[in-house]
Amino acid sequence: MRSFFQNLPVRALLPAAAAFLFSSCDLLEFSPNDHRAPESERDLTEKNLTRLLQNPLPAGDTLRFVFTGDSQRFYDDAEDLVKSVNQQPGIQFMLVSGDISDFGFAREMRWVNDDLRKLKVPYLTVVGNHDLVGNGRKAYEAIFGPRNYSFVYGDTKFIFTDTNGREYNFDRTAPDMTWVNKELADRTARRHVIISHVPPQDEDFDPALRDEYAGALREDTRLLFELNGHRHAFGISQPFEDGVTYINSSSFESRQYVILTVWGDKEFRLKQVTF
Amino acid sequence: MVAGMLAVVLLPTASARAQHAAGPYFLTLHVAGGTGLVALGGGYRLAHERLEPELLVGYVPRRLSGGKALAIFTLKTTWLPWKVGLGAARWQTQPVTLGAMVNYTTGQQFFLTNNTAGRYRPGYYWWSSAVRLGLLAGTRLSYGRPGSARTAAYAELSTNDLHLVSALTNHSLRLPDILTLGGGLKQTLK
Repeated sequence: MRSFFQNLPVRALLPAAAAFLFSSCDLLEFSPNDHRAPESERDLTEKNLTRLLQNPLPAGDTLRFVFTGDSQRFYDDAEDLVKSVNQQPGIQFMLVSGDISDFGFAREMRWVNDDLRKLKVPYLTVVGNHDLVGNGRKAYEAIFGPRNYSFVYGDTKFIFTDTNGREYNFDRTAPDMTWVNKELADRTARRHVIISHVPPQDEDFDPALRDEYAGALREDTRLLFELNGHRHAFGISQPFEDGVTYINSSSFESRQYVILTVWGDKEFRLKQVTF
Repeated sequence: MVAGMLAVVLLPTASARAQHAAGPYFLTLHVAGGTGLVALGGGYRLAHERLEPELLVGYVPRRLSGGKALAIFTLKTTWLPWKVGLGAARWQTQPVTLGAMVNYTTGQQFFLTNNTAGRYRPGYYWWSSAVRLGLLAGTRLSYGRPGSARTAAYAELSTNDLHLVSALTNHSLRLPDILTLGGGLKQTLK
């Protein structure tokens, strides 16, 4: 043993190797499905909300935010998106409409956060079907937070809900209509915006809940619009021809996003940005 | 699946033993590297100890899986292209080891193919969430008296098919981003 260590420059290399290993603890992956993340990369929804609410929007002020989605495995595009969004004046936050990851790995969600944490504004996400693959649900909940949550910013209540029904075998649990109805029934905010990944007109939305969900949105007089992802293409329409506007986000690789500016009771302007 | 892996590990050994090109058996204690917190297993050396197929059973405790504990069954083959003696004859190093592996993770949340999950149309997800393919490169140091059992310590860097797909489709992901460190001990049985 002694001769080995004397004959080779291992004595010099060992401390360097140890320092390298401990500084890059990502190297220690016990399973790609390990849902955990370091403390600084956990509970990102709560952390981003705290950051957002440190700059409250006075009642009556115009709301302006970026809306995009489906970052899945488009890391190069994510870097460019961040550069573009950081040049937009007067925006308060960014919404990502799900499919943060491609394979449901915690490591992927952390890669996306490595890019999006460089935004000058906080960002908020809703869970997508790809984020639920394998151990993805555990990873999403650890790294981002709850699959259903809401917050009020200025005059607007934002409601995030998991509509990835196919991932639950269409067992009528997604969307959680009891929770959605309770959130929509809240009359404290002037307007409501609901964000989910799979749009209700999509075949991946639980067909048993489609009418109930669309109906609940139709009956909410405060609802401004419903925001979705999943389709990787921008679109704005009223698919149920019931007066409810649905806006679908572009995906990161489409290299487009929209800026939504909201004022009054239900006034809004939509601007498409290409990067 | 497990029976199949065992068969692949053990079957070639019977015919190879007679040629003195094969053997000995070895046991493995492996840590990390995407195959569980710890994995235990063993195999049989082939091609004059240059090829080392083995089967490992890895354990992912609840704290890491976030739910039920998981098992990872790994079939792995390591190629040891050359051996270097280190002065004292008892010490040897195999400075470069290269290998490939395939593993299967238990758990209801993982599907073999998106068709077996029963809820997707064909091609909805193109990959298997239960089966991972991996490539590895490492190094090894071993100790043993001539003609008796040897103990080897090894370390290796590996990646899996899906991490590789992510890196190959994005310039911004660098090689260290997708690498995983593993290592362990191998004890030959004489």
